Amino acid sequence: MRILLVEDDDLLGDGIRAGLRLADYAVDWVRDGEAARLALLDHVYHACVLDLGLPKRDGLSVLRDLRARGQQLPVLILTARDSSADKIAGLDAGADDYLTKPFDLPELQARLRALIRRAGGAAAPTLEHADVVLEPASKRVTLAGQPVSLSAREYALLHDLLSHKTHIRTRSQLEESLYAWGEETGSNTVEVYIHHLRKKLGADFIRTVRGLGYQLGDRG
Amino acid sequence: MPKSLQCARVQSLRWRLLRTICIAALLGMAFTGMLSYWQAQHEAEELMDGHLAQSARLLLALVSDNESHLADLAERLATARSDQSNLYEPPLEFQIGRADGSLLLRSEQAPSTPLSMTAGYTDVEHDGDAWRMLNMASSSGDYRVQVWQSMTLRDRAALEVAGQAVLPIALMSPLLLALIYASIRRSLKPLDDLAADVAARSPENLQPLANRNAPAEAQPLVAALNRLLFRLRDTLDNERRFTADAAHELRTPLSIVKVQAQVAQLCAGNDRQHALAQIVAGADRAARVLEQLLRLARLDPLTGLPNPGGLDLCQLLRQAVADTRERETARPLRLQLCAPSLLIEGDAELLQIVVRNLLDNALRYTPPATAITLFARQRDGETTIGVADDGPGVAEEDLPRLVERFYRGREAGAEGSGLGLAIVQRIAELHGARFEVENLAAGGFEARLRWRRLSPPPATVAVREREAIS
Repeated sequence: MRILLVEDDDLLGDGIRAGLRLADYAVDWVRDGEAARLALLDHVYHACVLDLGLPKRDGLSVLRDLRARGQQLPVLILTARDSSADKIAGLDAGADDYLTKPFDLPELQARLRALIRRAGGAAAPTLEHADVVLEPASKRVTLAGQPVSLSAREYALLHDLLSHKTHIRTRSQLEESLYAWGEETGSNTVEVYIHHLRKKLGADFIRTVRGLGYQLGDRG
Repeated sequence: MPKSLQCARVQSLRWRLLRTICIAALLGMAFTGMLSYWQAQHEAEELMDGHLAQSARLLLALVSDNESHLADLAERLATARSDQSNLYEPPLEFQIGRADGSLLLRSEQAPSTPLSMTAGYTDVEHDGDAWRMLNMASSSGDYRVQVWQSMTLRDRAALEVAGQAVLPIALMSPLLLALIYASIRRSLKPLDDLAADVAARSPENLQPLANRNAPAEAQPLVAALNRLLFRLRDTLDNERRFTADAAHELRTPLSIVKVQAQVAQLCAGNDRQHALAQIVAGADRAARVLEQLLRLARLDPLTGLPNPGGLDLCQLLRQAVADTRERETARPLRLQLCAPSLLIEGDAELLQIVVRNLLDNALRYTPPATAITLFARQRDGETTIGVADDGPGVAEEDLPRLVERFYRGREAGAEGSGLGLAIVQRIAELHGARFEVENLAAGGFEARLRWRRLSPPPATVAVREREAIS
């Protein structure tokens, strides 16, 4: 799960990034509106945490731009502006959620989970396929009712695949979703994690689509 | 209860007008009425005197024509006036005689006074009744006649006439008073409306009053009220903005502390140490913002310098440089001092804040090891003190807004409180100085305080000194 964090305050941005990493998100952090616009143009994110008062370009303008391009990505506004007029303006500009500072870190994590879940078309708080169940809130994965222990990357990969059940995910898409900027990605890391998942969940759980990428198998 | 007494003494314009105009109108009417009354009474008396004279002449004419006619005259007159209902025809009493005073004829109730009295009108008292009497002699002088009218009857008639003359005025007066009342009420209605408009307003409604309906006399008042409302709205807007901005500024460091604390709870080792250090930094930020806010709040209500005195600008700058070097040990500094010994009149503590804020800004918004110059100079009677750097400068569109409270510039990060230059601006105002900011032609940025014509005269300026520190 890759998230774009737009926050101009060094200390606060550092804190939010650390908090989101603790929830196993890959976090790209930009400090001004222009950088946010460019990042949203060039990369695919699962969600965006957006401050409003930003240097160079206001957060609302970044948001309007994004929606004008037809991008559906869930956006959570995180700002100190707490009047209802500000909230209305933010939601009307295309935000999916609005949180005011100072905020609760677990609440921010929960709201992001809900946003990402709904953006994937799922209303239920769990992701399921065959006899595998993933609970994003507790980050618990079970196979036929038995808990399965996964590393953070394995979990993120499984989450991505479960969020796009009918899609074929390319290797680069999966990499985008696994790593933030500046994180080293080996040439075959995705394959390594796929291999681990198959070992833990069964070889037919993930299907390789030759020349294209990966998809959930038809088991069950 | 002196207050309520004072309130009671405040006069209503309406009642004052009403009272004055009504008293004037009533006095006018009373005077007119009295005049009419006297006039009418006087006319009535003259009329009745004329009546007496006419009767006297008629009687004389009858006598001089033929004395024998007199025999039954009294009787005929008596029957002719049997009906006395008409007030203006009082019974006529008379005596007729010859020039020698012998009586020829007299009416039944005529007072018996001698005929020898002098000709003309006389008021006489007879048997307790007052009479008006006319003595007249015939033109030949052979006969004399004396006619009488009862004073009571005459007065009653005169009163009746005069009364009729005054009646319309008396009837008019209540109508007039009612008209006066109505017209005053009507004229003062716009003022009432104005008062109602003001009274009905909620404290949030600071829209200007509509002055279309106000009378010309009230226009200056409405205009003054509107100016006041405008200033009030301006002040309120500023206050609201300031409060909102202050809340915003305090929320950010609070958010930092909270989120980093929650991160620290969730992780361990180096990450935890890092988060804890960030908490401390966030708390420091909150303290700094609070300090600046309080400083501004203390400066705002001042009308003059709290501690004016003589001070040396060079000394002030030297101190600021020393303090900064002590504080910023981690950062490479290139500070330059360029100032002669300059004695001025001012508040040393406030000017120290100015220099510190300008220096902090220069350090914060330029890359490390940028050359920063603190300068003071006196030229053409102008004294200047300021800080210049050869950093990247400030975006032109930001320059005029730098002194706005909480404004940080579009390019700047969120580190500062956004209040430093607002504080400098306020201190400059208190010193009667101008605060100026500009991008230098050679690159870099300069912020300075400038006084026009400040004592002491240039004679006391010591030799310019230039020193480079570090």
